Amino acid sequence: MLRRRLLDRLDVPTIVAALALAAVGMTAIASATAEQPGRSGLWKAQLVWLGIASLAALVVVTVDYHIWAEFSLSLHGFAVALLVAVLVFGKEVGGNKSWLALGPVTFQPSEFAKWTTCLATAAFLAKRVPDRIRAVQGAHLTLIIGTPMLLIAKQPDMGTALTFVPVFLAALLIGGLRWRWVAGAVLAVGLLAPFGWHYLKPYQRERILTVVHPDRDPSGVGYQVRQSKIAVGSGGLTGKGLFKGTQNRLNFLPAPHTDFVLSVVSEELGFIGSAGVLVLLYYLLYRGLLAARSSQDRLGTYLSLLVVSWFMGQAAINIGMVLGLMPTIGVPLPFLSYGGTALISVMCGVGLIANVRGRRFVN
Amino acid sequence: MDYRERWELKEYQSEQRLGRRALLLHGVIVVVLAGFLGVFWYLQIVKGADFALLAENNRLRRIPLPPTRGVVYDRREQVLASTRPALNLVLVREGLTDAEGQLKRLESVLGLPYEGLTARLRAMHSRPTFEPLLIKEDVQLADIAKVEARREWFPSVEVEETALRDYPDGPAVAHAMGYVGEVNETQLAKISDGSLQQGDIVGKSGIERQYDEILRGRRGWKLVTVNSLGRPFGSSQPGRIPEDGRPLRLTIDKRLQRALVEALAEEVGSGIFMDPSTGEVLALASTPGYDPNVFTAPVSHTTWTSLLSDPRRPLNDRAISSFYAPGSTFKVLMTVVGLETGAISPSTTVSCSGSVVIYGRPFLCWKKGGHGTVDVHRALVHSCNVFYYLLGRKVGIDAITKYAKMFSIGEMTGIDIPGETRGNPPSAEWKERIRKEPWYPGDTISVSIGQGLLAVTPVQMATMISAVANGGMLVRPHLAKDSAAAPAKIPVAASTLALIRGALADVVEEGTATRAQLGPIRVAGKTGTAQVFKKSAGVDADKLAKDERDHAWFIGYAPAEKPEIAFAIVIEHGGHGGTTAAPVARKVLEVFFEDRLPKPEPEEIPAAPGLQARLAPTPPPR
Repeated sequence: MLRRRLLDRLDVPTIVAALALAAVGMTAIASATAEQPGRSGLWKAQLVWLGIASLAALVVVTVDYHIWAEFSLSLHGFAVALLVAVLVFGKEVGGNKSWLALGPVTFQPSEFAKWTTCLATAAFLAKRVPDRIRAVQGAHLTLIIGTPMLLIAKQPDMGTALTFVPVFLAALLIGGLRWRWVAGAVLAVGLLAPFGWHYLKPYQRERILTVVHPDRDPSGVGYQVRQSKIAVGSGGLTGKGLFKGTQNRLNFLPAPHTDFVLSVVSEELGFIGSAGVLVLLYYLLYRGLLAARSSQDRLGTYLSLLVVSWFMGQAAINIGMVLGLMPTIGVPLPFLSYGGTALISVMCGVGLIANVRGRRFVN
Repeated sequence: MDYRERWELKEYQSEQRLGRRALLLHGVIVVVLAGFLGVFWYLQIVKGADFALLAENNRLRRIPLPPTRGVVYDRREQVLASTRPALNLVLVREGLTDAEGQLKRLESVLGLPYEGLTARLRAMHSRPTFEPLLIKEDVQLADIAKVEARREWFPSVEVEETALRDYPDGPAVAHAMGYVGEVNETQLAKISDGSLQQGDIVGKSGIERQYDEILRGRRGWKLVTVNSLGRPFGSSQPGRIPEDGRPLRLTIDKRLQRALVEALAEEVGSGIFMDPSTGEVLALASTPGYDPNVFTAPVSHTTWTSLLSDPRRPLNDRAISSFYAPGSTFKVLMTVVGLETGAISPSTTVSCSGSVVIYGRPFLCWKKGGHGTVDVHRALVHSCNVFYYLLGRKVGIDAITKYAKMFSIGEMTGIDIPGETRGNPPSAEWKERIRKEPWYPGDTISVSIGQGLLAVTPVQMATMISAVANGGMLVRPHLAKDSAAAPAKIPVAASTLALIRGALADVVEEGTATRAQLGPIRVAGKTGTAQVFKKSAGVDADKLAKDERDHAWFIGYAPAEKPEIAFAIVIEHGGHGGTTAAPVARKVLEVFFEDRLPKPEPEEIPAAPGLQARLAPTPPPR
């Protein structure tokens, strides 16, 4: 009886959209890693991760989101504790200390923190902000979102830290903000930007300058962006065919199975593939917005909107990078890029949307 | 309004606001995603073709296919230069483990310096790893066997095949053949049609350079799919097949070439032998030489410096680019001038007392007691200076200039090897133009015996003596078989040349060049001694240090009656031409006339009667 009801109210379109994106991603990963020594089976690993992620999502769906909200602060606290642990015991990969080893399994607490941040922010907004955000509440929000962000920036994984910014902005937007605050914030950012520039590392500055002048250094920092654009552009309308992308197969693309997985899709499936990914992504986000609108309470609405903002923000940073509109920052594309923890995290996000959607008639 | 209604209104308003905010978020999502769609459209549809081209350029690389350089043969189809396969020892840098150990073992097995190899391995750090480190070029099979026998010591050492230019006779053909090397920036800049590219092998000197376009061929290429590191990947596509260089036949005779180099031995000097009637060069050598094979592989710095800093300048082709005072060999031309201008006749005589005072200055004959009364024949045979001093005074410099030019003295002969120099012509105009000094009458007197302001190259003298030998035809010396130019007739009387030839035969018979005698083959020639500037007057030549001695000349031809081969030889600081230069000529002529000369025991086997019969009709004029 309970099982049937659960199946009845399962948000199938949303989950199908997410699984379709993951399937496209796995195909691209298979193509991207086919020639890479020791990585050719990576898509299978991703399939296993997708199974685990789906189970996790199912757990998220099964438990009422009000209960999740109830424990949100503990969960978020746990995530923050893990982030501190990473800084202390973390495993360094490629200059970033963002991995935590638990026996044979390594995972990225930062991905888990994205999910708990959405949960905790939504719970806080629903419980403490009846109308508009006041100064104290703003400070609380900054604490909730800023703490994990700062810890991640300390790893230093600037890309992942950056994905918290859209969530923060969305929280301010949906929580309600006075316009003078918005004006003040814009002014502050404008004034502080030059100082921020000063604190950036030289390679980070190079990456930003490359966006402004793409041909600045075609073999150096501009190389990755340039190769990605060549991959995308050379795909044309229908692409070079699956597993036939030369930019990808011949190693011209940087990180083709993670950050630049969309370049692989665009090269091998052309504009049709790129548009397909964008349409699927939009449909998923639309389902999230639908869940937000149909929710019976503000917690559900906030939860859905924040998860949508998280997905959208992270996707925008990644696609902007692939297209050379953003500095090269290591941010994976949700659902498509290789990465177990990231996949579990975004599927749990989908779980939250489905959770809200599935309980819209419950009073 | 009761409380409940107010609460509901507030809730309603709040929901309205939330709905608007969600709508705003929706709007942002739509705008951003539509923007991305637009950029994808622009990159993939509008600019798709451009990026497709960029991707192709990324992917395909032209791998040059070098052509095989043309083989060079001598006049008897003997190989002078060809291309041979060679083996290089390389260290594969991909998956390289224990580089230190492998290189150290290489040092112990092959004696290759460990320090040098590690330094070069470090220097390659930024190169793609699929490019191997060249350990040793052109290794011997024995060395390869040493490595193969210890295969497990050298997991990363491999043998690589390449092609190298090969000169089987090495130093014997050095200056005629020249050598090859990688094209340099200057050459690349000069040729703009793209026929030359970085890394191409081109002729650097000699025949290799002169006929480079024939020998070089045209490089081809294949298209290879490469990955981002440039490593070839998958199959290649056909591009252009290289066109091999064409073979080249030279007029050189390898036997004579070898004989000449052997005869010159340790002396510093040069020699050129040619067919007087066609200008075909049979042998051309300059010593000290070098081995052109050392240039085929990239030349080490030390090799270069030692070749360049050698004071004897081994790279210099003395036969065409060094010029010396011709000394008494110039008397041949002076005789032409005298007879042709009518200044003297065959019966004109002069009394030589060992010296003569001209313009108030004494000019010495080399023979202290003097030659007594000499006519032109005796003067040439015994090289009487006084006769020619007086002749020079009589004809004047302008007549000498005119005839020297006719016989290409002080002129380019046009030999087909790069680097020919002109020397200094005997010319008042030249002195005034170059030295900015007036021509003094005394200058003419010095020039009359081939000293002073006159410098000639061996190839010029060989051309001049060829014209005397062949009856007045000016030929262009050349080494490529099919590059003969029609000889030009020099307007001189046959009787003039006949008189000179008679005298030159007697020079060898009884005069200064008896050491050039060659049994039944009568050799004609003239010795010369070019005064070295440093030499202080009045010192006996034997007491001088080697590098202060005079340069020795010997020019001539053989057989005297019907010349088949003409020559000019210079031995730097060789002293007297008859002593050092004449034997060199004889040794080469021995090889040339091999078939006609008596076999090793000349005393036992008499000269062939047929030969004597042939010689009989033209008895040497005395």
